[in-house]
Amino acid sequence: MPYRLEIALKPGLRDARGEKIKKRAVDYLSAPLEGVRVVQVMTIDAKLSEHQLRQVAGIFTNPVTQVSSYEPLPVEFDWSIWVGFRPGVKDNPGDTAMEAITDTLGRKFAPGEGVYTSCRYCFIGKGLTREMAAQIARELLANDTIEQWRIFSKSDWDEKEGIGFIVPKVRLEHEPTVSVITVESNDALLEVSAMRNLALNPKDVPVIREYFMRDSVRSERSAVGLSDPTDIELEYISQARSDHCNHNTFGGVFYYTDMSTGEKMTINNLFATCIKDPTLALKEAKPWVVSVLWDNAGVAGFDEEHCYVITGETHNSPSNMEAYGGAMTGIVGVYRDPMGTGKGARLVMGGYGFCTGRRDYAGNLKPRLHPRRLLDGVIEGVKDGGNKSGIPTTFGQVFFDDSYMGKCLVFVTAIGIMPRLVNGEPAHEKTTRPGDLIVMCGGRVGKDGIHGVTASSEVYSEHTPAGHVQIGDPYTQKKMHDFLLCARDEGLIQFITDNGGGGLSSSVGESAFHAGGCEVWLDKVPLKYEGLDQWEIWVSESQERMTVAVAPENIDRFMELSAMHAVESTVIGKYTDSGKLHILYRGKTCAYIDLEFMESDFPQWEFEAQWIPPGRRGLVEPVLGGSPDFNVLLCDLLERPNICSREWIARQYDHEVQGGSVVKPLVGVSRDMPSDASVTRPVLSSQRGIAFAQAVIPSYSRIDTYHMTTCVIDEAVRRLVAVGAPPDMIGGVDNFCWPNIQYDPKTNPDGKYKAAQLVRSCLALRDACNAYGIPLLSGKDSMYVDGHLAGRYGETRKVSGLPTLQFSTTSVIDNVFESVTMDAKFEGDLVYLVGKTGDELGGSEYYELLGFVGLNVPQVRFDEFLSCYRALHRAIRQGLVASAHGVYRGGLGVHLAMVAMGGELGMDIDLSVSVQDSDLSDEALLFSESTGRLIVTVAPENSDAFESVCGDIPFARIGAVTGKGGNLVIAGNSGRPLVDIGVDTLKRTWKKPFGDLV
Amino acid sequence: MTKCVKALVLSGYGLNCDRETAFAFEQAGAEASRVHINALVSDGNILDRFHIMAFVGGFSWGDDHGAGVIQAHKMRTGLGEHLVRFVERGGLVIGICNGFQTLVNLGLLPGIDKDYTSRSVALIDNDCGNFRDDWVHLAVDSSSPGEGKFFCNDGVLDSIRENRQVVMRYADRDGNPAKGRFPENPNGSLDDIAGICDSTGRVFGLMHM
Repeated sequence: MPYRLEIALKPGLRDARGEKIKKRAVDYLSAPLEGVRVVQVMTIDAKLSEHQLRQVAGIFTNPVTQVSSYEPLPVEFDWSIWVGFRPGVKDNPGDTAMEAITDTLGRKFAPGEGVYTSCRYCFIGKGLTREMAAQIARELLANDTIEQWRIFSKSDWDEKEGIGFIVPKVRLEHEPTVSVITVESNDALLEVSAMRNLALNPKDVPVIREYFMRDSVRSERSAVGLSDPTDIELEYISQARSDHCNHNTFGGVFYYTDMSTGEKMTINNLFATCIKDPTLALKEAKPWVVSVLWDNAGVAGFDEEHCYVITGETHNSPSNMEAYGGAMTGIVGVYRDPMGTGKGARLVMGGYGFCTGRRDYAGNLKPRLHPRRLLDGVIEGVKDGGNKSGIPTTFGQVFFDDSYMGKCLVFVTAIGIMPRLVNGEPAHEKTTRPGDLIVMCGGRVGKDGIHGVTASSEVYSEHTPAGHVQIGDPYTQKKMHDFLLCARDEGLIQFITDNGGGGLSSSVGESAFHAGGCEVWLDKVPLKYEGLDQWEIWVSESQERMTVAVAPENIDRFMELSAMHAVESTVIGKYTDSGKLHILYRGKTCAYIDLEFMESDFPQWEFEAQWIPPGRRGLVEPVLGGSPDFNVLLCDLLERPNICSREWIARQYDHEVQGGSVVKPLVGVSRDMPSDASVTRPVLSSQRGIAFAQAVIPSYSRIDTYHMTTCVIDEAVRRLVAVGAPPDMIGGVDNFCWPNIQYDPKTNPDGKYKAAQLVRSCLALRDACNAYGIPLLSGKDSMYVDGHLAGRYGETRKVSGLPTLQFSTTSVIDNVFESVTMDAKFEGDLVYLVGKTGDELGGSEYYELLGFVGLNVPQVRFDEFLSCYRALHRAIRQGLVASAHGVYRGGLGVHLAMVAMGGELGMDIDLSVSVQDSDLSDEALLFSESTGRLIVTVAPENSDAFESVCGDIPFARIGAVTGKGGNLVIAGNSGRPLVDIGVDTLKRTWKKPFGDLV
Repeated sequence: MTKCVKALVLSGYGLNCDRETAFAFEQAGAEASRVHINALVSDGNILDRFHIMAFVGGFSWGDDHGAGVIQAHKMRTGLGEHLVRFVERGGLVIGICNGFQTLVNLGLLPGIDKDYTSRSVALIDNDCGNFRDDWVHLAVDSSSPGEGKFFCNDGVLDSIRENRQVVMRYADRDGNPAKGRFPENPNGSLDDIAGICDSTGRVFGLMHM
């Protein structure tokens, strides 16, 4: 008979967690609620004495604030909702409770015994119906993929029985079996692929069949007791060949036609042409580039003793399904990449980028989650994942556009630091050798996250298996992180990689290539519960696991350290030189594949790409006139969701932990302005810092993805320059998120155009990186940013996300004391504008406000801009610059306001003296998004020196900083003030839209 | 020069401020060692070698049963008398953030009348219902985890005040009391309390930063 301990805050104490749930239920579902209180439930499935039960209650009940009882607590409610884990889901609180109980009672839990935690929510609200309670349970309290719930009304409730005894123990009455799959015909194999969700590419099928029908292969296989391929083998091939792992799209052949000129070109492999080749060439020229293009993350020099490690990922499909869990798994997952780079890096910072529909969307489309809830969930997922990992989240961005309602974008970026040498060997190098043991560290394997890789390579539909969402567990991972660093420093790690997409199949499969083979004993893999089929163990994406190669002579010490850190590690096989991926289960072979086979000539993917230039698509500049009220216009722009303050998000993220924060995500006199970039000291004893920034500007994709891309890269570069980072040591990370580009007359009629958009973006990436000298330290692509949403009449509509590139930049600042922030500092300082303003309102925030797209998208003049950046960098290093801020979305009007708001000082600006194209309208002067520009404030005594450092770059002194409580006054070309408005009013306006969110 | 002050900084089980705390001790002239909780628990005599013990911030045991609850429990069952002896022989203890929660759950704080085992105060969920990272102003007598709201009953509060155990209070820019206002008092702490010590002043707990 199990026991059930209920714990609650003492009556009368404010229940902050309950209040938060109440607020969401009221906000999202208009639930008529007066109050919510939370009761923690602990179900103990073990035989304990009365005395022991009292001791247990004592551990978990705070005598000052809580009450508890083994009877249901008499907390008042109209409806009570119990939510607990589904069987088999990792219950960390339950596990730690067992640990604490064992410590206290000196009694071990027998097999089959356990502790399970859950929650009972008590809702007060006379008008609450059962349907509404069910909706609250389903949509707010529980995550259907991992949790179950029960609803009790006041009249249902039995004061003695309470919720009853719910013990979510897994019982899988299933004997693990390996199935053999026939390869008699292409169609038969494709049918199996569809049935089993393998997502095999039809073009790969003949290659796979040929291999398994080859005589030499068949005779080798028969020697180990195999004939036709097993399910586990096909799962391995499917996983390794998926677009997610193999990047078939970027590796494809593109037949590109410019539909206006008829000009044709063929690009064989976008990755090689636009990413790999330029980066390798730059690596030659830049000795600080240490290791790129092959490992889980790129490695670059930090100082004499250290390298930094960076990568960026997306987690779009899972976040779209389950925002909180998907985003959390995303951030926790990307943190494993630096841990699995070289011999392992220590995580020092992270970044985020979210693209969703507008928070207040009120249209006809019905996405799975309304953008507001989706965004809340995503924000919270990254918060819990990042904060609990003990890694500062130093920079982030959010972009709203309703095209992301088909699928949201969740970008996560991770930076780590590693010593240059570990045990006398380069830390960025790693390899597996025959004889090394394969060790799996961290969490256990369950059914969670099976087929995540293949699912993310598909468009979201109602058939997408919900089971592919995993829930991250930063606590388990943090313990593993600390352990692995100790093991690394003792020289115990030969090779390390993470188990993310594809699970063991990917981590063991890829690491086996170095040694030339492997033998895996699948029955040794620790499971969350019995009953998994062999293929499920092999491809499960259960999180928080790393695969490590350990030399046999080091294994005892490795295991000892692992135990000390309370981390589970298990030897699951060994590397060999057999040339084979050999998997056994209880001594019986269930997979035997030549590693070489994965490198055989699979047919390249092919894409037709047809570019229709914007003019040919009917885009024109709008015809505007009159004399607008620029004060109102500026305020309206400042209130727009992509411009206004998003402080509430940044505040939830710990950016101070580890103690290295220099330029924070929020700066200015009241610490409330978004910084151009962050600067962090990863090595506390050094004055060096890593500057980090990111940019997305998907709006420009409406005109031309080539210029979208160059503008994004320029912005990410300029952001670094603004904080004082050297422009000649910039590394980049490209994260492409694109809709499906494979043409289909019915399901993807504009596929050829989308393919051309991708080609242009990649060419722009190549051009920009070459011109700016940016090696791509890492990058990822995520295709299939599409969704089919229900419309008003029961129809569904395909919604494709705007083609999006997030570009992340890093650079190393020698002395962080030289960094600057964006806020105006002192009354009397002079204001300069570096760069030239042109008539480039196409795709701008201003046009969007008016409902136009326009045609004149901003263009990047690399050489001219680079000399500006170098000059500004020299000025910053000489201490001549008080503040620097780039001009980004919204143009000069918005960004002059930002500088003034940052310092809470007035500014008197005359734009007629700024460097500009001829015949600019006041609108263009204020709101054009011409790139390459920065607003700089300089103390009067430094102005001569500043101007002489600037030399012949385009720049002008446009005004001065005025006093506290002053106005922002901006005069246009006529000399009359266009804008004249209090900086406090501007700030109030800018903060208003999301100001109430916490 | 040989450093004579030795500080032990706890690590492991989800703690995450151990490196910077150790660095801070070094900057202040101490010799700091990061020690895994399991290493300490397996040999409590290690404490004899140190003058200062730091319970650092983080999410010990994932904060699963309330911040610092399981860490305190592990220390109580694993270290037993070693800890109280350390305090009684004049060792200094600092608890920051999660470490403060642990000290309170252990009863080392407020340690009224040198009772180092009774729990009489608590740090509970912030009123704003969320984690908040911001700088705060503190007034020293005489920032910001998800559970940082100082709470106790009136009698205990009176004793803590009378014994002058309130070391730091949340304040505004000019150093005036925050008077419970958000965000100056970021979590709704009683009497703006941000940090307290025991009656000897040797055990000190502080909310983040």
